[in-house]
Amino acid sequence: MNEPQTTSQLASAISSEVMIEIVDMNKWYGQFHVLKDINLTVHKGERIVICGPSGSGKSTLIRCVNALEEHQEGQITVDGILLGKNLKNLDHIRTEVGMVFQNFNLFPHLTILENLTLGPVWVRKMSKAEATETAMMYLERVKIPEQADKYPGQMSGGQQQRVAIARSLCMSPKIMLFDEPTSALDPEMIKEVLDVMVDLADTGMTMIVVTHEMGFAKTIADEVIFMDEGDIVERNKPEAFFGNPEHERTQKFLSQIL
Amino acid sequence: MAIVTKEKTAERPAPISETSVFGWMRKNLFSSAFNTLLTLFTLYIVYLTLSGVFTWGIVDATFIADNRRECYDNSLTGACWAGVIAWFDNIFYGRYPRDEIWRINFGLFLLVLWMAPLWMAKVRGKVLIGATVVGLYPFLAGYLFAGGDKGLFMQVMISAAIVAFAINMGNMLTGLFKNVGLNTFLINLAGQSKASDKTRRNVLLGMFGIAFVAVYIWQMGWTAERVGWTRWGGLFLTLVISGIGIASSLPGGILLALGRRSKLPVVRILSTGFIEVFRSVPLITVLFMATTMFPLFMPEGFVLNKLVQVIIAVVLFNACYMAEIVRAGLQAIPKGQSEGAHTIGLGYWGTMGLIVMPQALKHMIPNIVGNIIGLLKDTTLVSIIGLFDLLGMLRSISKDVPWLGLHKEPLIFGAILFFIICFSMSKYSRHLEVKLSAGEKH
Repeated sequence: MNEPQTTSQLASAISSEVMIEIVDMNKWYGQFHVLKDINLTVHKGERIVICGPSGSGKSTLIRCVNALEEHQEGQITVDGILLGKNLKNLDHIRTEVGMVFQNFNLFPHLTILENLTLGPVWVRKMSKAEATETAMMYLERVKIPEQADKYPGQMSGGQQQRVAIARSLCMSPKIMLFDEPTSALDPEMIKEVLDVMVDLADTGMTMIVVTHEMGFAKTIADEVIFMDEGDIVERNKPEAFFGNPEHERTQKFLSQIL
Repeated sequence: MAIVTKEKTAERPAPISETSVFGWMRKNLFSSAFNTLLTLFTLYIVYLTLSGVFTWGIVDATFIADNRRECYDNSLTGACWAGVIAWFDNIFYGRYPRDEIWRINFGLFLLVLWMAPLWMAKVRGKVLIGATVVGLYPFLAGYLFAGGDKGLFMQVMISAAIVAFAINMGNMLTGLFKNVGLNTFLINLAGQSKASDKTRRNVLLGMFGIAFVAVYIWQMGWTAERVGWTRWGGLFLTLVISGIGIASSLPGGILLALGRRSKLPVVRILSTGFIEVFRSVPLITVLFMATTMFPLFMPEGFVLNKLVQVIIAVVLFNACYMAEIVRAGLQAIPKGQSEGAHTIGLGYWGTMGLIVMPQALKHMIPNIVGNIIGLLKDTTLVSIIGLFDLLGMLRSISKDVPWLGLHKEPLIFGAILFFIICFSMSKYSRHLEVKLSAGEKH
């Protein structure tokens, strides 16, 4: 997988270890067939960007990976654990997979610091002092340590999203999923969030990002996936994907947004 | 267009109508001739009403008399408060033995002391204090009020309650004066400056264990004289029934609401059925059912006293109303919140207890307090099935020979009492709402 990269791209550190393996996965909402025969393998350290028109199943796909949505057919294996009805497995996988949402989903009744330490203290059984230390380290990394005692409602959208990223990182996840992290933000704030994500990519985190930010995709993605109507239509290296899209649906999509 | 404002515009004070009382009155009460007329007319009506009430209730009223005849001799047009005053003990304590009334006062005093730390910002461990109020205080108070022989279970619970109370008070003092919890204080006293959470918990448990043995041995030495429930009455009985109702209907309501939203069909159907049945029946029917039909379903020889049956009925009835309030509150919390909680690995109970419920409860406060006020007033229904609660006592004044036919004054007095209690609860709930939403502006 290690091919020479263009200079604008981050160095990639993909190992042969498989983090996520999706085999023949199908999902329906009632009668509606959302995801059709999805096959996808993600290696450790790999960074994948998923794009596509709305309603194409991008979000649903990554929500299936940490079992926020149930799939009806096929298999999803995350970090060697098969997703299924076993609740213990579910809780375990959720602690290994971090997720960042379009609407941040911070807890409005808790301060930023409490938002960050909640998981480590209650799930990882860390001591409060230790959790606070970790939390401050990650707040440092997303560049808002001075906001630790504020409530989410007192911050801007960009700051909230950075807190949400830090909250996931506090659980020291092996995989990070991003569900349109910048779609609810003002243009000025998109950059500050993307910068944090680029930093994160730099550390070798396995990432799946659903986004419409094509510049960002070019910078960090090892591979770009295009989805339409529940199918994975095209999957390619970013330079090939943007420079020379093969499928006509991809061409049409790209011509509309670029 | 070029630059419009070169310098920053200076701030000016707001117009007088926005800031002073007179400005406000001119704007809102006397803005036009017609409005001025309307204001004066309304004030006149208010004056007429209030002056009538004032004359009857205070100026012409009789406060000291031995019977109703003396009231009439004193004034024909005034209220006869003497009857209400003569019955004060009955109104507040029912027919509780007069020598034992201190037990009721002492019990209420304990409750106030027990709960006082919950309102003190410096005191630690509020969750534990709250849990002991609901979990242990009722046993201590119950024995204090009822007395009699202590079974083994009661002995254990009473000792536990006394110890919890003592630790709570110690914790309050160290919190107020040293700004630390009691256990941390003891650890510091022993010369240790830092201790892990585990040590702190162990110190707390150790304190509890030692004190428990001491108190258990001490309490074997005495018993309180038995006072049968038939002698309970007045405001005391009203507060006992509604107090238990309030303390247990909220937890019950939360469980029922979670049951109704559960993914397990059996739990969901049972909870839904239970809620719908109780909500479709008037409370008075539930009370009659509890006292007349409930014993039929029980095994022979199994006798619950009427008071217990009434309390069970009140609790179940109100838990069902609470459940619907809680359900509405839960539905108001966006799904993203529980998804956010799931992604940091919290399970169902963690998500509910730490994320969803705290937010939902805050939205529910007005409705919960509304329901609690309703519950308090509804308990007057028990006078129909023969318990002498506050209303029952007030109505028996008119059947007492010296005060025969005295209806108006006792009922007005009851209305005032209920108003004071309910209005302060509603004011407090408003205050709580403002306080809890202080940090978060959405």
